[in-house]
Amino acid sequence: MDQILTYESAYQELAEIAREIETESVSVDVLAQKVKRASELVTFCQTKLKSTESEVNKIIAQMESTDPKP
Amino acid sequence: MANSLASSINYIRLSELSGKINAAIDTSFGRSGFWVIADITNHSFRPQKKYHHFELVEKDPDSNQLLARISGKAWGNGITRIQHFETVTGQPFTDNINVLLYVSVQYHAVYGLQLDLLDIDPNFTLGVLAQQRQATLDKLVAENPEYIKKAGDVYITKNNRLKFNAVIQRIAVISSKTSAGGEDFKHTLQNNPFGYQFYIDDYYTAVQGESNADQFLKKLLEVFYSGKPYDAVVITRGGGAQTDFLIFDNYKIGRAVARFPIPVITGIGHHKNESIADLMANTQTKTPTKAAEFIIAHNKKYADDMLSLQHNIVIKSQQLFSRHFQSLTSLNSLVVNHGRNMLTGKKDELTRINRSVIHITRTVIFRKQTALVNLSSQMLSGPKIIIYNRLNDIRQLVGSVKTFQVQYLRNKIGYLDHFRSVIKMMSPENILNKGFAIVKSRNKITSNPDDIAIGNDIDIILSGTQIKSTVKQKSRYDGSDFNL
Repeated sequence: MDQILTYESAYQELAEIAREIETESVSVDVLAQKVKRASELVTFCQTKLKSTESEVNKIIAQMESTDPKP
Repeated sequence: MANSLASSINYIRLSELSGKINAAIDTSFGRSGFWVIADITNHSFRPQKKYHHFELVEKDPDSNQLLARISGKAWGNGITRIQHFETVTGQPFTDNINVLLYVSVQYHAVYGLQLDLLDIDPNFTLGVLAQQRQATLDKLVAENPEYIKKAGDVYITKNNRLKFNAVIQRIAVISSKTSAGGEDFKHTLQNNPFGYQFYIDDYYTAVQGESNADQFLKKLLEVFYSGKPYDAVVITRGGGAQTDFLIFDNYKIGRAVARFPIPVITGIGHHKNESIADLMANTQTKTPTKAAEFIIAHNKKYADDMLSLQHNIVIKSQQLFSRHFQSLTSLNSLVVNHGRNMLTGKKDELTRINRSVIHITRTVIFRKQTALVNLSSQMLSGPKIIIYNRLNDIRQLVGSVKTFQVQYLRNKIGYLDHFRSVIKMMSPENILNKGFAIVKSRNKITSNPDDIAIGNDIDIILSGTQIKSTVKQKSRYDGSDFNL
């Protein structure tokens, strides 16, 4: 994966590939490449999202444990 | 001398005179009372003796010169009325107040003319106070336009436009050292049910009596110059006697509160009316306890906001995650499905093309084959026919030849016979036999008479005989022997 790949750029690229495939503007010559790239991007996005989610959940748990409610 | 004078002049004793004066006054004024408007001066009150002593004066409003002065007293029921007056107006009965009194006129042989206070009208004084208060307010607005503005019934001041900090924690309290109000305030704050911490600095000053205004002002400035980052200044007053709020209607204090750069909260314990300080302050509450409750509520709102923010963050982030997961999933399935569909589509297309290629190819080959077969059959049959035709022609020709050759030969023979007879007829022998002769000159046959001159030798051939002769004569012959 690209070093500077961010969730947003990955998601954009994924959406672009999906759109290309949906409108069949992609050539069969590169279809396999595109689908492979799409699967990489999905994996990347999911991983990123999950790690962010678990991180956020941790923070939220911290927030709730320091909840000043009596 | 005096005695002689005394004997000659009709005199009375002073006590008799005072008795007469008393009688005259009694007759004129009796026990009836009068409502009188006057200012009070030289007031004194002896709680032990339960006796107010004062003077009533009227001054010329322009020159301030005394127009009238009568001393007065109040005792018994008069004291009760004064207490009521003080409670209602918040104005102590003291010097330099303008009051409406119900008095009776009395004369005492020793103490002279006196007015006995029977009642005092609080409403009049309230009106006067209200006028004064309004005058002070008008003055505040007129002289401090950059700090104080009036909008309808509301005063907009620099102070009440200040926004409280999110949390009010550092507080300067201006109160009387002895007043219970300050303690109520602190107690309420420090025992708040949420465990909020407060840092409170006390600034003690007298909070009663208009004469203490300067001292009060100094305390306010002390708060300002302390340089401490106070979140609020709280002015409390409470407990103690429920009189004398006039300090809070003071012009200087009103102005100082209006201009103060830290939000001021008042808790003056003043149920009847709003003081000028209340109007100028950022927030007014009725009592010190209410002031503390206000601060706690303010902080509680902040804590609640934080909590709800926290809950929002939790909910929103969860929503955000689920939305992203969903959109990822849908994108993923979109890619998978459409990729698959696309491949299937392409495959179908390929199959279709393949099929049509096969079909077209077959058709083409079939057509070509047919054409070839046609051609070859043409090739096969054509020559045969040609040959047959030619053979036919030949056969016909042969027939014709067979048919015509006999005729032809016959004709030819006929022609030949004809020619032979013609030739026979034309043969010189024959002609000669008919009486014609051939003339030769110089061994050449001639038919031209010009070739023959007289004297020439000529040969005449006639019917198988050659006759040699010489020409003797030539002449023209016009015989009609040959005319057939």
